[in-house]
Amino acid sequence: MSARLFPVVRALTFVALALVACAIVFQLAGYPSAGMFAAIAEGAFLAPHAIVHTIRWAMPLFITALGVLVAFRCGYFNIGAQGQFYAGAITAGLVADALHAGPPVLVIPLVLAAGIAGGALWALWPGLLRVLSGTDEVITTLMGNFIATLALAYVASGPLKDGSGSGEVAAARPVAEGFRLSTSSGVSFSLAAIVIVVGLLMWLLVDRTAFGVLGSLAGRNPVMVVWQGARSGRIAIGAFLFSGSLAGLAGALELLGPSGRLLSGFAPTLGFGAILIALVAGLSVSAAAVASIFFGGLAAASLYLPVIAGFPAAAIDIINAAITLLITARAWPAKLTVRAWPAMLRRRTATTP
Amino acid sequence: MARHAAPPDGDNTMIAAIAAILQSATPLIYVALGGMIAARAGIWNLGLEGLMIAGACAAVVGTKQSDSAGVGIACAVVVCVLGSILLWFVIEKLRANPVIAGLGISGLGLGGTDLAIQAIYGNEGSVHAPLSLPQLGAGAGAFAGCSVLVVAMPFVVAALWVVLRRTRFGLQLSACGEHPFAARSVGVDPVRMRLVALAIGGVLCAFGGAELALGRLQIFSVGMTAGRGYMAFAAVVFGAMDPIGSAAAATFFSLVEYLGIKGQLVFGNIAPPELILSLPYIATVLGVWISSRLRGGAAALSELREY
Amino acid sequence: MSALACDDVTVTYGETVALSGVSVAFDAGRIHAVVGQNGAGKTTFARVCAGIVRPSSGALTIGDEPVPVGNVRASRACGVELVHQSFALPPSFTVAEALEFGSTRPGGLVFSRRALEARWRAHLENLDVPARLSDRIRDLPVETQQGVEIARALVSDAKLLILDEPTAVLAPLAIDRLFARLRRLNASGVTVLLILHKIREVLAIAETVSVLRAGRLVEALLPREGMSPASLARAIVGSSDVDLAAPIALEALAAESERVAAVHLSGVSTRAVLGGPALDDVSLTVGCGEIVGIAGVEGNGQRTLVDALAALAPITSGTLRLAGHDVTSAPLLERRGHGLRIIPFERNIEGLSLASALWQNWSARLLVVGRLLRLIDPPRLRATSRTVLERWGVRFGSVDQNAGTLSGGNAQKVVLAREIDDDATLIVAAQPTRGLDIAAMAFVWRALSEARDRGCGVIVISSDLDELFDISDRVVVFVSGRIAGEFRPPYDVRTVGEAMTAAHA
Repeated sequence: MSARLFPVVRALTFVALALVACAIVFQLAGYPSAGMFAAIAEGAFLAPHAIVHTIRWAMPLFITALGVLVAFRCGYFNIGAQGQFYAGAITAGLVADALHAGPPVLVIPLVLAAGIAGGALWALWPGLLRVLSGTDEVITTLMGNFIATLALAYVASGPLKDGSGSGEVAAARPVAEGFRLSTSSGVSFSLAAIVIVVGLLMWLLVDRTAFGVLGSLAGRNPVMVVWQGARSGRIAIGAFLFSGSLAGLAGALELLGPSGRLLSGFAPTLGFGAILIALVAGLSVSAAAVASIFFGGLAAASLYLPVIAGFPAAAIDIINAAITLLITARAWPAKLTVRAWPAMLRRRTATTP
Repeated sequence: MARHAAPPDGDNTMIAAIAAILQSATPLIYVALGGMIAARAGIWNLGLEGLMIAGACAAVVGTKQSDSAGVGIACAVVVCVLGSILLWFVIEKLRANPVIAGLGISGLGLGGTDLAIQAIYGNEGSVHAPLSLPQLGAGAGAFAGCSVLVVAMPFVVAALWVVLRRTRFGLQLSACGEHPFAARSVGVDPVRMRLVALAIGGVLCAFGGAELALGRLQIFSVGMTAGRGYMAFAAVVFGAMDPIGSAAAATFFSLVEYLGIKGQLVFGNIAPPELILSLPYIATVLGVWISSRLRGGAAALSELREY
Repeated sequence: MSALACDDVTVTYGETVALSGVSVAFDAGRIHAVVGQNGAGKTTFARVCAGIVRPSSGALTIGDEPVPVGNVRASRACGVELVHQSFALPPSFTVAEALEFGSTRPGGLVFSRRALEARWRAHLENLDVPARLSDRIRDLPVETQQGVEIARALVSDAKLLILDEPTAVLAPLAIDRLFARLRRLNASGVTVLLILHKIREVLAIAETVSVLRAGRLVEALLPREGMSPASLARAIVGSSDVDLAAPIALEALAAESERVAAVHLSGVSTRAVLGGPALDDVSLTVGCGEIVGIAGVEGNGQRTLVDALAALAPITSGTLRLAGHDVTSAPLLERRGHGLRIIPFERNIEGLSLASALWQNWSARLLVVGRLLRLIDPPRLRATSRTVLERWGVRFGSVDQNAGTLSGGNAQKVVLAREIDDDATLIVAAQPTRGLDIAAMAFVWRALSEARDRGCGVIVISSDLDELFDISDRVVVFVSGRIAGEFRPPYDVRTVGEAMTAAHA
């Protein structure tokens, strides 16, 4: 098998294995697996307007996943995409609110820039802690998720509070109509255009800049690039800034797009979904685009499942978690291969006490 | 997280405060001890969050189905040990990345408990247990509400310390994490030792989860761990993989949470509740930052080199 | 009766053959030595005997009883213990804990600190190890750590004690003490098997000598009597049957003094680094068009020298000039800008990213120069790297394949192809032929000679004196971070060898 094809086949094999394991778990829990998977397929692609929902989720997932894969390629475990996404949404929301009377032509780019800056800053502090003190970024970015979630709850129910809302979920005032980039369906030409441009820019960054190639070398062997004279600190900070910026941009796009307002706890699994996409895609931009459609479909299905089909949405979380568990596997124990069984059986029968 | 607030009768004595902090910290301490044993043997277990919540759920469901807290704890132990073995298999035999695999286990725990509750009890977000763990009772004064697991906790910490520092087995376990080659050269198999360590860790996570759900409150609700499992992981790093250090770090994080809530009650709403709630997470970040400055450098949790 | 016997032991790691068909039987009650150069397979051999490494084929017999291979417990149960070169002692353990954790002696389940120390005090005292049982391993000086390591190996009833390069980290007096201890052990019935590579030590302690070369046992159980340093050296190094390089024309050296020096170290001192002592007032000049060979036992400052040149070890005093520019405090990138090129010690860690594509590994040198966010042209880099790698004779399928898929010789050619470019003024080659076969070695030497002929200065660090003599215009000997001697051709292996093994002043 060619060297390029093998990782793809391996990834798909473990995804399939995860799905099979989930099917067994659902069946044991008393839910009909076949029916559940059928409902998921409906929610993702088959039902009317399902494709729209799928694309609506695929877009922010894709943008965030691009950020995750930049950091992972450079060897930095930034798992704070959720927090950086929320941070971007917060800063974008604050700017959109402050400038609510301004002309859309000026305000929209500013709001997007604010989102990028918010996400970048929220990724910068774990990055600095890593570069300056060697503090491992796994815990810091993870904690950053929780802190940002709380910050969003505060902003949505405090400074930007929507006085007219019923108040079950903390919701902020809606963004001015003129700033919206899409209706609540979440799919529009402007959003699609932005996503495509960002995708191309990130492909350019990863594939066609010195940062991209050096970062990839550094991610696989940080010692070697030091011996070439590279400045690891710069690569590191760059990795964190880029990944945070993209997550923050996704947050701003969510705000100006389908959400229309800041909602406490909205899109709660987007960050880990993006991480999963990056891993399944083997950290490749083009594969991430494809994977985003798949996981966008799962995200669409997670809303369809409880509402239409009567299955728990947690099933989707379990599928995602199972794929996460297996996707980085690199080996298969020799004793468990089909080839090993004849030899094992032979050995059993051959030995006589 | 606001559920673990100050004692309901508003008693302000120091002893009452200690009792409250102790009860609040115990789940975190157990889980931190579970993470500590695994880390000592050489596996960084980011699945603690999932194991903790799975333990909590199993404890409540088991108690509810059998009307016995003992059965509840036993169920929790079975579930957590199985989850730990699964993690061991994926990391050691399938050679998956430990951080990602740990996140996967955490996700399975969070999603799996959600699904289990819906499957067994229908579409609710929480389940009440008919009874809590046995408690000390009225004779213990301010410590009346402390369950057996809280009482056992200091002994467990001490026992782990003795095993790790004063038995041959404990030394071999530590060697597996610190210097696997040294372990192999005396005939100890680090891979098998990690299985044992994760299994023991699973039992401890089960205790932590059981205490969280059944210690005083008698309730399981979806997502009730709220990141405590990850905080316990950070407590292991902050506590330098030492049983007493990890327990102390976990207590510190709980203390921060307690002080924040207390301060909120005493001084009124000068600070938004979300800020108070984020104090433990901020304390965790500070903890690992201080730890890395003291010990000079990343513990190399991240190894995604093949990408 | 043989203490230990190997029969046709072969160890392969992927494509590399570490040991090939080794068969030998060591008599009980004697002191044996197994010698060879770096990469000859000595450590692998020791580990096979101890059960840590499982051979791909072959059998092991201990004390005339067949023993399962690759099983440490079985080997230890038969009384075989291994003292490791870098010590199997967890650094945070106390001495008492380090002795306890591997012990198979029956003991209580739980012990107090005092009881533990009491248990091992007699053992340490009998072996004359000057350490307190409460000391932590990481706080002990190296010689004492080795004493603890030996004590650890002796906690169970060892009948055969194998020591892997025990003298590499010891000063001469400490070596004498070690040998005295080993003779005492031997007198009490323990068979001793020493892995060594210094000729003088072998002749001082061993009763029989077996020689490994490139994984094969070329001499088995040579008796000590009648052995001379020269005959032993010949057995270890062998005679090379490949013409490595044309004889160096002495006239080429004549004009050297007029050229700008490629590198000029003047009174350079540094702090100690991991893997070597501090440089102590080193003054060295390498002219353009000159190859200077650095000879010396590993761990005598060669590593520190390379680190200092690579800006990884700060220079605490003295100056460093590259092609006339003062780069004493300049970062590595600036030094590379002045033409510094390094072929590092650890090819797979410092030289290449094994999990990255060949073209990326080759292009790294170009990528680090300039702004990080500038656009590059991967198709052109791929094409250029393909051309260059082909010119250097690297055998590969596609420039997109990972560097880890290449054999050692080919991988080293990739490093050479990257480092030896037209802008190089000083090439530092650290053990450039380690682990390579004869043909690849010849290629490397040829490449370095050609670079020298083009006007580069070259520093070569090697533990292979034969090859060093063939290629160097000058040989400098390092001992403990100082220059202990400088030689010009024709080289005399005995004189140079004596300088290398010189006792400390």
